[in-house]
Amino acid sequence: MIPDHTQPRLADGVRLEIDGTTGKGVLLFPEGIIELNETAQEIVTRCDGRPLSEIVLGLAREYDADLEMLAADVRETLADLQRRKLVKLA
Amino acid sequence: MNAPRPYALLAEITYRCPLHCPYCSNPTRMRNNGELTTGEWGRVIREAAGLGVLQIGFSGGEPLARRDLAELIHGAREARLYTNLITSGVGLDANRARELRDAGLDSVQLSFQSDHVDLADEIAGANAHQRKLDAAANIRAAGIPLSLNFVIHRRNIDRLPQIIELTETLGAVRVELANVQFYGWAFLNRAALLPTREQVARAREVANAAKTRLTGKIDIFYVLPDYYETRPKPCLNGWGQRYLTVNPLGDVLPCPTASSAIPNLRFENVRERPLDWIWRESESFNRFRGTEWMPEPCRSCPQKEIDFGGCRCQAALLTGNAANTDPVCTLSPNRAQVDAVLRDLDQSSGHTREWTPRVNPRKAAIRPNA
Repeated sequence: MIPDHTQPRLADGVRLEIDGTTGKGVLLFPEGIIELNETAQEIVTRCDGRPLSEIVLGLAREYDADLEMLAADVRETLADLQRRKLVKLA
Repeated sequence: MNAPRPYALLAEITYRCPLHCPYCSNPTRMRNNGELTTGEWGRVIREAAGLGVLQIGFSGGEPLARRDLAELIHGAREARLYTNLITSGVGLDANRARELRDAGLDSVQLSFQSDHVDLADEIAGANAHQRKLDAAANIRAAGIPLSLNFVIHRRNIDRLPQIIELTETLGAVRVELANVQFYGWAFLNRAALLPTREQVARAREVANAAKTRLTGKIDIFYVLPDYYETRPKPCLNGWGQRYLTVNPLGDVLPCPTASSAIPNLRFENVRERPLDWIWRESESFNRFRGTEWMPEPCRSCPQKEIDFGGCRCQAALLTGNAANTDPVCTLSPNRAQVDAVLRDLDQSSGHTREWTPRVNPRKAAIRPNA
């Protein structure tokens, strides 16, 4: 399990943008584009060096969501993005 | 017809290049007078972003030959595009690398001809290999993510293990090992460049083993040589679906090789028409859009939304008609064209054949950049 103190950041060469055509968040990287769903976009927006615990708390406040379920969702999303080398966990 | 939105623009900003690779996909007949100006490229980039484009690749020729490259990158970043530089690296010293990074360059794809200086320089027709090694170091020192591109062909395919070793040494995050595709100069030089079936089989094993070994370290993309395939490549994910190219003279192409491969199709120019109109309305972008244009065997084929009938340029080059099924497909009535090329190679594979090195466009006055 990804620990609470992990500080996720976008991997080198990966940029978060808002797609002007759809209004949705996209990750841009060499030769690739991934459209993010709303949850993933909210998470990735916060991948700026703050610890995982803070990301979860911030989202919980904003969405009034169950903390444990939210933490599981965030971990799953980050693990997926890490597998695709779009996010680095340190 | 309803046009989808494009995602990526390939900006071929010049045909000038210090290298002479015999597999260059540029047209074998080029002009270099009348390159688009800095201001014109700025407009093209903004119009592309307005159409939905999210990524731009600066290519050529050698894009570093344009002194306004940093300015063009800056313009693309202002339009919120992801910026890639596709370069030979010749001319990319430490200062230039920092200049491009400061302009907002997101990523560099650096091409190599081989792992070893002698063969690499022979293929490039220039003393380029050491300068590329220096460029790789400069790119990394500037903190720009580095991808490597190798075009694989008969003369370097047996060195795939060493080539992969080089990518590890250079700290690349991504490497494209692309078997040569036969357009432009490569079509002209096909007899010298096409690898044998045995070479292709060995290379595939090497590439697959390296992919497994380097998982999580380097992303390896191995592009198959399509003459040896039985189904065509899904070229461009369909004509006029996701990609557009603007060439140095401002012609807008569904594919970079279309203007030379399909001479009877009229391509529009950004000096005469807005990009939006060209993408949505022009004859050239609509001719092979979707599946309505398809002949048999594509028309009734369950694969037609998967490979889109293959490559229009290849159909034009090998069968004389861009609307035919890509003759790489074994269902194509023209597959014999491809088989004849492979058979000819089998009978003469012991010989090293000469190739014609790429030459630069005719020397003509280059308009100063406005």
